Amino acid sequence: MRAMQRKGDAPKVWKGFPGAVEPYLFLVPSFIIFGLFLFYPFFRTIYLSAFLTNKTGQPKIFVLFTDMDNYLALFRDPSFWKSVGVTFQFVFLVAFGGLLVGLTTSLLTEKKFPGSDAATAVYAMPIAIASAAASMAFKMILHPTNGLINNVLGTQINFTGDVRYALASVVGVTIWLTSGINFIFISAGLRNVPAELYDSASVDGAGYWRKVWNVTIPTISPTLFFQIIINIIGAFQSFSQIKLLTEGGPSNTTNVMVWSIYRDAFFNFRFGSAAARSVILFLIVLGITIIQFRFEKKGVNY
Amino acid sequence: MKQTLVRRHQFQTLRRLLLNIPLMVVILIPLLYTLSISVMQPDEIYTNRLIPSSVSFENYVRALTGSYYNFPRMILNSFIVSTSVMLGQMVTCSLAAFAFSFLEFKGKRVLFLAVLATMMVPGEVTIIANYLTMLRWGWLDSYRALTFPFLTSAMGIFLLRQYYLTFAKELYEAAKLDGCSNIRFMGSIVVPLSRPALGALGAYVFLNTWNQYMWPLLVTNSRHYRTVQVGISMLYDIDAYSLGLMMAGVIIVIVPSLSIFVFMNKQLIHGLMAGAVKG
Repeated sequence: MRAMQRKGDAPKVWKGFPGAVEPYLFLVPSFIIFGLFLFYPFFRTIYLSAFLTNKTGQPKIFVLFTDMDNYLALFRDPSFWKSVGVTFQFVFLVAFGGLLVGLTTSLLTEKKFPGSDAATAVYAMPIAIASAAASMAFKMILHPTNGLINNVLGTQINFTGDVRYALASVVGVTIWLTSGINFIFISAGLRNVPAELYDSASVDGAGYWRKVWNVTIPTISPTLFFQIIINIIGAFQSFSQIKLLTEGGPSNTTNVMVWSIYRDAFFNFRFGSAAARSVILFLIVLGITIIQFRFEKKGVNY
Repeated sequence: MKQTLVRRHQFQTLRRLLLNIPLMVVILIPLLYTLSISVMQPDEIYTNRLIPSSVSFENYVRALTGSYYNFPRMILNSFIVSTSVMLGQMVTCSLAAFAFSFLEFKGKRVLFLAVLATMMVPGEVTIIANYLTMLRWGWLDSYRALTFPFLTSAMGIFLLRQYYLTFAKELYEAAKLDGCSNIRFMGSIVVPLSRPALGALGAYVFLNTWNQYMWPLLVTNSRHYRTVQVGISMLYDIDAYSLGLMMAGVIIVIVPSLSIFVFMNKQLIHGLMAGAVKG
């Protein structure tokens, strides 16, 4: 009772100068960093996208809604649309490929067996590996003359330089990189499936695949949905694999949006156009996040 | 009846092993193959062997002593940057999380939403503008450029705040009544009690910073400030014999990452799960 009174009284006490200002002091370090390196550059990017810039990124000519508008120029440029198309292909393949690998590895380690701890550790391991380091390892595996895959197949395929294989190669590397996080989240989802659901399915005479399809997947559908969103947002941000394996080529078949931003800014020094691409990328990711919020409220469930 | 059950169990175990082993090999192959190439004699790599005939550390010696690229300096750079970012986030995020969970003030909700909103903006979207800031300030090629932008994170604030919210509010009120200042309460009670959460944040942030590639690539040009992830990709371009060198570099770079994964597995996964709660 006394404690409750104290609680009720607390806000009415005049705290004086340090008391009233103090809470904000705790926030100052974080908000300085956010302000300088997140909020400011975010609005700066939008601002820059309205200009033609010089080589050091200074805005020079305001072009928004004119004939030289950065956005209009992009929308008129077929290679921009190709880049958007490639990005969506890449993202789709990575999101569902990663999910499939994660679901497989999680189902295979759902029950304990001798060695299941080792399997669990191995399946989670890619979360620790840097995309740059993994890309270099795969560069060796995919090497046209001395690489593992060509050795085993007895071929000399230029995986990262051939229009038929380049996108598949970077997709494969990215799925490997994201397989760990898919495994961890889907495994966590599986642990939450109530055992009674399986029991009653068994009583009904359902076999393994039926149980997976009719019990497991519907029950963990919120996890799977959440994981697809994480995969999508992560895939939109992929850069190292592209830079180190294909540099957006051959013939722009792996020219995803982040790579095109990098190219526009650091090869062509067109910072205004790169900023416009960044804003478009942001809007796409924002749209996906909003979809996630909507669905989460409704609940993706059986 | 009992025997058939035992047999069925054995059969299931065998089946699990037979299904898991190939998949484990597939996931492990990039590392095993890299390791195998890295210990080959330079000319053996070009004979397309999968397993080295003998173990040689020549590639490691060359990677670590090559004067052109100074790999040890890059390792040191990565350690300095990752440690600074880790410690920095521990401090800034603890402070902010403390305010958001224990203190009452005007605009608390709005400010917290502002923190959460930062999670909606992928780093790649602001990277051009951030690069231009560094250019304008003359920060390119410096530790400042590599560390400052990452000295706080919404994920860190969020993770610690969730942890602080589990503390009894009475603890704080009792301390206040005894005349304990906020900062002292934080230092003597909150921080020691939140070691598990700080460990999770630390492991996750160190690993993430160690693994960064795009930002270090943009803001460093000189060999003095390059980090390891950028460094290994440079090992590739040195000469015709660089494949083994590159693989040795990859292994060297992966060792700290894997160590965190092995020795701080719980913390890392905890941090990862908090970090993935995006949007």
